[in-house]
Amino acid sequence: MTTCRGGGLFLLAVLAPAAGRAQALQNATLRRAQQAYDNLEYRQALAFGQAALRERLAGAERARAYEVVAFSYAALDSILKAVDAFKQMVLIDPERQLDPNRVSPKAYSAFDVALRQVLLVRQLRVDSTSFVAGQGAVPIRFMVTQPARVVTRAIGVGGGGGPANFLVDSSAWNGQVNLSWSPRLPNGDPVPAGSYTVVVEARLGQNTFSASQQIRVTHGRVDTLPHLTSLPGYQYLPETEIPAQTWRPLGVAFLYTGGALIGTLGLESSSLGASSKRELGVVGAAALVTGFVMTLRRPAPRPAEGNILYNRLLTEQIARRNADIAKENVARRQQVQLTIGPSLKTGAPR
Amino acid sequence: MSRGGWGGGGVVPVAMVLLGLGGWPTGAGAQHLTVAPQAVLVDYREVSSGLRYSGSGFGGVATGHHGKLSAVASVVRLTLDPTDQSTAGAGFKATQLDAWVGYDVASHASVEVGILRRTADPEFAAQSLGALRLGVRSTYDLGPGATVSFRVDYLAAPKFSGGGRAAFSIDLGLGLDVRLAGRLHGVVDYAFERVNRKTNPGGTGEIDAPIQQTLARLGLGIGF
Repeated sequence: MTTCRGGGLFLLAVLAPAAGRAQALQNATLRRAQQAYDNLEYRQALAFGQAALRERLAGAERARAYEVVAFSYAALDSILKAVDAFKQMVLIDPERQLDPNRVSPKAYSAFDVALRQVLLVRQLRVDSTSFVAGQGAVPIRFMVTQPARVVTRAIGVGGGGGPANFLVDSSAWNGQVNLSWSPRLPNGDPVPAGSYTVVVEARLGQNTFSASQQIRVTHGRVDTLPHLTSLPGYQYLPETEIPAQTWRPLGVAFLYTGGALIGTLGLESSSLGASSKRELGVVGAAALVTGFVMTLRRPAPRPAEGNILYNRLLTEQIARRNADIAKENVARRQQVQLTIGPSLKTGAPR
Repeated sequence: MSRGGWGGGGVVPVAMVLLGLGGWPTGAGAQHLTVAPQAVLVDYREVSSGLRYSGSGFGGVATGHHGKLSAVASVVRLTLDPTDQSTAGAGFKATQLDAWVGYDVASHASVEVGILRRTADPEFAAQSLGALRLGVRSTYDLGPGATVSFRVDYLAAPKFSGGGRAAFSIDLGLGLDVRLAGRLHGVVDYAFERVNRKTNPGGTGEIDAPIQQTLARLGLGIGF
């Protein structure tokens, strides 16, 4: 059985410049090994590295010592020994990653071979996400370096305060693995809020390796939708329009007055003689003057039928949308928004 | 000589019935209601060109419009004197009641029914007349607050105080309602009435006794 211990400090050391890294190393022998390697004195680097490994080193420095030894072996064309050293390195620091653009191909290929010869669960990532319970899942990604039976669990505090263990997946995997966890109880309710640990355990024969990451699940209300007062891109149109100024009022006044005059003349009794035109003159003149004045005045607004129909359709559409929104809001008020994010504490691989 | 029933008291109840059937809007139910006192000019001829009267008078009119229904009621008191060319010896007074109830059948057209009643004082100085109106009216909005109308009414079942009959009687009119300022309305109306009255005095055969009247009503009213 292979057991790994965490080494977050190691990553810091690797990312730093070479001179800085040598300075940061606590162990003097390891520091000399690093300086020798930086000076391209690989045999010295190898000797100091192996000497450092015989000393008492912290996990990060031990991994660093194996790395110096592995790179030195690679530089000296002892690939098998380089692979062995890299294997020891990744067992201490499974997250260690080499940049193929910055290391020699011989060293990188030795590192790659080493990775495939040990069982590791690397790069476990649980992405932060937020979704409505039952309508989404938590993405879980990791890499398994050898074909293995992988059991993924989420372990947390149950609703009653006791432990809760949710099986996410149990399958045979190799390489990059993408899983999704729907955080629901067997009855369909969302899992209780709190801290959970996602544990990925890989087993290959007698070898096991596990990695974990803590996450935090919080509950929230699902946002309800606001009711609409308008539809984007659609504006209400004026329901009246002012027609163009015309001579129609005067024309109509002429027409009506003329009709009365013609009717009067046509209906006059021959035996009674021509009737008085005084009365028609007064009223007809008033009608014509009114028609003339109205011709000069700004026409009265009249209903714009097309716009009225359009506004009615728009109002109906908004009402229909609001009815749908109200219905959806009723459902949303019964839903729970789950937010998954990283926990303050980060789990280390075991 | 028989006496017509319209000259008696039968017209007013008929008018009330017509206004009631028309759903005359009262109070707040009316969309437009105008009440106006009126001055009247009148020219009246009867039987022959020698019997001519001219005069003036006063009265009042109420108009209303509610939905597709409209109604007009007018009462005028006329004082008629013989004209210079008239052979009549004395004038007379007359009271005329007109009422219509209309129903819009198109945007500018309506059908209407109503009554006409005119009584002369002294009673036999001129013919008193009562008739039903059946007609059409065309109304057009000249502009904001200004409406002109033209109507043609057939005067059905005319009754005369001096008896007789009239197979053809017609009344046409030109009306104008202008909102002058705020609620102040100018309401003017012209009416031409031609009644082909025929009588048969003594059973010797029918003779023509036509009646012709032109009337102008001029009023300032309040609109509600």
